[in-house]
Amino acid sequence: MTILATEGLTKRFPRVTALDQLTVAAGEGVTGLVGANGAGKSTLIKILLGLLPASAGRASVLGMDAAVQGLEIRRSVGYMPEHECLPPDVSATEFVVHMAQMSGLPRTAARERAADTLRHVGLHEERYRPIGGYSTGMKQRVKLAQALVHDPKVVFLDEPTNGLDPQGRDEMLALIRRIGTEFGISVLVTSHLLGELERVCDHVIVIDGGRLLRSSAIGELTQVTQAVAVEVEEGWEQLARHLTEAGEAVAVEGRLITVQVRAEDTFDVLRDAVCDLDLNLVRLEQRHGRIEDVFK
Amino acid sequence: MTQPTGVIHDIGYRHYDGVRLTRGYAATALALNSLRGAFGLGRTARSKIIPFLIAGTMLLPAVVSIAVMALLKEQGLPYSGYAVTMQAVLAVFLAAQSPYLVAPDLRFRVLPLYLSRPLKVIDYVGAKFVALVVALFLLLAAPLTLMYIGELLVELDTPVRTSEYLASLGGGVICAVLLAAIGLALASFTPRRGLGVAAVIAFYMFTLAASGVFFGVFESENQQTAAEWSLLGNPFFLVDAVQTNLFGTEPSNGTGYPPGIAPAAITLAVIALALSALYLRYRKAAAA
Repeated sequence: MTILATEGLTKRFPRVTALDQLTVAAGEGVTGLVGANGAGKSTLIKILLGLLPASAGRASVLGMDAAVQGLEIRRSVGYMPEHECLPPDVSATEFVVHMAQMSGLPRTAARERAADTLRHVGLHEERYRPIGGYSTGMKQRVKLAQALVHDPKVVFLDEPTNGLDPQGRDEMLALIRRIGTEFGISVLVTSHLLGELERVCDHVIVIDGGRLLRSSAIGELTQVTQAVAVEVEEGWEQLARHLTEAGEAVAVEGRLITVQVRAEDTFDVLRDAVCDLDLNLVRLEQRHGRIEDVFK
Repeated sequence: MTQPTGVIHDIGYRHYDGVRLTRGYAATALALNSLRGAFGLGRTARSKIIPFLIAGTMLLPAVVSIAVMALLKEQGLPYSGYAVTMQAVLAVFLAAQSPYLVAPDLRFRVLPLYLSRPLKVIDYVGAKFVALVVALFLLLAAPLTLMYIGELLVELDTPVRTSEYLASLGGGVICAVLLAAIGLALASFTPRRGLGVAAVIAFYMFTLAASGVFFGVFESENQQTAAEWSLLGNPFFLVDAVQTNLFGTEPSNGTGYPPGIAPAAITLAVIALALSALYLRYRKAAAA
């Protein structure tokens, strides 16, 4: 089932073209939307929510036209904005209950759902305290809870890992994965880090300057991005030569050798090469693809 | 030793398949929430001080008036002039609470969350406006009603002033609508609450001073008509003029107002202007 689709979607602002002839589609599960800052990710989300009119082209969510059925779309969609959006003087519980009511849930149902959702995002006793005293990680959880409280069919998460420390980032990504699988809610999640989305997405859409660079299932993408970085103490030129002779694709950046993984035995060739040459291995790590690497 | 009485089960994520109500329900919930907030209910103890103090001050003359009726068996305060007499108190409430209703949502950027739900800009603005209108009306209607109940119970020789009471409630509605429109329009232009408070109080002081000065000048020149017109610059006298011309109550300025529908037309124009400014402000904020 198609969750969202755009066709020749264009959005021009007085000074900048945010989206340029964008045609994409996303199905169920977790879809990543990757692009640098200013690539048009947030603009796309606003158009999909029916909050911003497109200059040209069409956009639809769950089969509803964003230009005319914004209200119906917003009934079935949850939205977590990139920026801070929480009032400091109310508690998380009060705020999430209020937001559930704004989505049309009766008060008792809103209370129940708010308690459930806050528990799912991992906010416990602190949910009764004013939001003003929360850490960034807790605030992100509240923002996520308000997007889920009305049990939407789809959620749009705009940079949910922004400002989080590595542990908070991991927890947020795990939560997003759970939303997409266990909760059965389709997710559109934006980020400027492809590596981050690789871990949770089924499908990735990459846009740059408002244009589509690539849209593919995660399997295809990681195959392209699979590379291994090798660092040895001395003799890296020797190693590079050896590997090239063995038929591997090698790139040298300073002391760092990047080897493209062409098949499983690339790893064996690499290991044997290091042993045969009797080199001191410093580092051997999987290279997370960066947008630039994939689309060079 | 106590035995554990319950076990927590992780029942996983549950979907919601209950009712989803309409925009109207959401807007009503927002209005109610804002109305409670305007009186500090559901907020910190500190934010209750000003609204409660103001509500108490508004009731004070009514209580004194009842005491006068009961003890001296004399006619109490006139209903029709209550808003004019208490205008400074109402203005302080307007200045203190209209920024509360709109500024935090702009400052902390909660507005995009409201608009990402099945609500339209007009629902949001309408809910805030209705909340402030009701708050102001309650503030005015409570002492009037208290006084009326007092008058019914005291049993004076003079007839009960029911029609004047009702006319004053009517005037109260007009007053609440006019003040709320002006207050919200001014407050919504800045996300900073302090600035909003200052803007609203400055607006009131300006109209008060300007209409007072013009009134004095024209009065000393013996231009009675011009003097009466200049009083309409103060929103409270403007509403009193509408009330006088529409419901036939006594004018509370001591001299009288320009007759006819002119005051009502001015009131409507000001309300329309303020509400349009408010709506346009939010339409712009919604697109950003």
